[in-house]
Amino acid sequence: MRVRWSLLLTVLLVAQAPAHADPPAEILVSRQLAEAEHLQPGMVVRLGTSVDGSDAREFRIAGIYEPTPDPQRLGQVPRELRMHLPDLLQFTHPQDTLTGAEAVEGINVRLKNPADARAFSKAVQAAMPGVLAVPATESMPPGPFRVLERFHLAIAIVTIAAATVFLLALTIMLVDERRETVGVLRLIGLPVRRILTQILLEGLVVASGGALFGLVLALFSQGLINRFFQWRYDTALVFVHISPEVAATCVWIAVPLGASATVCASWALLRRSGLRLVRR
Amino acid sequence: MNAVGFAWRSLVRQPARSTLAVLGVAAVGALLFDMLLLSHGLIVSMRDLLERRGYDVRVTSTTALPRSGPLVSEATATVHALAELPDVQGTLAIRFADALFRDATGDPIGATFEGITGNAQRPWSLLRGREPQDVTDVIVSESAARVLGVDVGSTVPLLVQCRDADEALPPLPVHVTGIAELTFELSDEITLAGSLGTLQQVCGGSDQDRADVILVVSSGDPARAAAAIRAARPDLEAATNEQMLGRIQDGGFTYFRQISTVLTTVTVAFSALLITVLLTVSVNQRLGAIAALRALGFSRDRMVADVLSESALIVGLGGVLSLPLGWALAIGLDEILRRMPGIPARLHFFVYQTDALFLHIGLLAATAVLAALYPMRIVARLPIAATLRAEVID
Repeated sequence: MRVRWSLLLTVLLVAQAPAHADPPAEILVSRQLAEAEHLQPGMVVRLGTSVDGSDAREFRIAGIYEPTPDPQRLGQVPRELRMHLPDLLQFTHPQDTLTGAEAVEGINVRLKNPADARAFSKAVQAAMPGVLAVPATESMPPGPFRVLERFHLAIAIVTIAAATVFLLALTIMLVDERRETVGVLRLIGLPVRRILTQILLEGLVVASGGALFGLVLALFSQGLINRFFQWRYDTALVFVHISPEVAATCVWIAVPLGASATVCASWALLRRSGLRLVRR
Repeated sequence: MNAVGFAWRSLVRQPARSTLAVLGVAAVGALLFDMLLLSHGLIVSMRDLLERRGYDVRVTSTTALPRSGPLVSEATATVHALAELPDVQGTLAIRFADALFRDATGDPIGATFEGITGNAQRPWSLLRGREPQDVTDVIVSESAARVLGVDVGSTVPLLVQCRDADEALPPLPVHVTGIAELTFELSDEITLAGSLGTLQQVCGGSDQDRADVILVVSSGDPARAAAAIRAARPDLEAATNEQMLGRIQDGGFTYFRQISTVLTTVTVAFSALLITVLLTVSVNQRLGAIAALRALGFSRDRMVADVLSESALIVGLGGVLSLPLGWALAIGLDEILRRMPGIPARLHFFVYQTDALFLHIGLLAATAVLAALYPMRIVARLPIAATLRAEVID
């Protein structure tokens, strides 16, 4: 059940529990709030909604928890805590509402058979007009993750396009530098196919080496980027994750691209005669 | 022939590699331009959104952003009280309530109802039809009209989540009097709007006199109006547009600034590295020619200037091409990002800014100089006699 804690916590004081009192109710405190207020498990705190703390009650901190990272709340440090709903209602219970008739924002239901979710939601809506019941799989709109994924993919495509163009320019220059060597190989009788195979193998080796170096660099920077953004936003959200699938995709793109660029750049050169290549 | 002319001929002599180098710079430059637009685009767009319709102070119950914090109670009385202040020209309270409709199959359609009260300009532009005049009159956004299949003159059953969410009230039939562009509509929502009285009516007369935000039009000095509101109502938070932007900047939008900074750095480093390699290989291939020119009397500075000019021409031509390319790319990327849920429908991520253009030019100029440093060093330190001898032996 989701509740808005921000309404509640206007007073948060560390208190000493009197020896004779009933044991205070337990709460969980978010890591960020615990760090900000120097709270630890076992401590007793006083919570209330009024500025002067007149309605404050004592609670014992049962534990510190890491809030589930939420990309929609990126940048908002979650200084929050969790308590049992009856404890919360003691603070938020509206005067003009009967006990037990208080409003909550949502109720999570676990069905015996998850396949019945849609039928159950329809039955609830038919029985309780005004209540929105939606299967959990349909309750979340396409989130920002999916949008960011598309954005990063678009940037990756532009980067690959730019890198390909540069790669072609470089390979053209490098192949041109070896013009005379290729000319001599042609003059001593090596067929074009043989030289092209050699160039392709060279291209594959260089591209594989480059791809591996790129992966090592990415793995190294992955930690740096995650640490920076996790520090910047005080979140456990993982921003960069080089999964085996991502690594395989990179290699799958980089190696054929590098080898193809080498072969394409060499092709124009190999169509010339050996004598022209050695400038004789 | 001056250094630029000489560098130009050097590029023209090898059209394939020169074209590829320019295209490479254009692609990288386009990405750089986009990242610079993204860096402050959101803030520029948000400022434009905040300043639209002249609202220059926002009053909320806490420092939380509107629609994410507690409501302002007794909205109607508060709106009237604030409008009486000498520094205030007009006020308008808005309450955003969740509304619920059903499609033909009975499936729920979530919507937002904006209930307003006050004397300031309404937060929408009417596209067709007329303004709502009665409590049973509403206007709808184009997306709402499309999803609900309604138009001017239609009647829709309005059911909203009232304060007591467990109340099972019958829907109120409301008349659609107009289709409008709503200033505060989010990208993923469909919106209807009317008076706060409509909300009261649909909730069966229960107390709905509360607002998410009160928009204030100052008499000329927003800071003074905000101070006057804070003095009159210490229990409320009044923030000028600049202060709201500060809160937003501290919030979730910083991610795009950070990612833009990272990508700008990577892009500049990437292009500088690649142009350095291109120029270095090019210079190494022409060492003999350069040594011969030095022997013919060309000064060291002149040869260094040739290399710098070559770099400047590649980056300059690529940079010019990068602007239209970057703009086209920015439109595509903006379309992608604007599908993000929960952001204002009229918010843009990539917005043209002259400052960004100048920064783009500056960064490209710095890249041209940086990329030329190593090849310039090679040329400057080239031993003429030894190079010529090596060329002859080769």
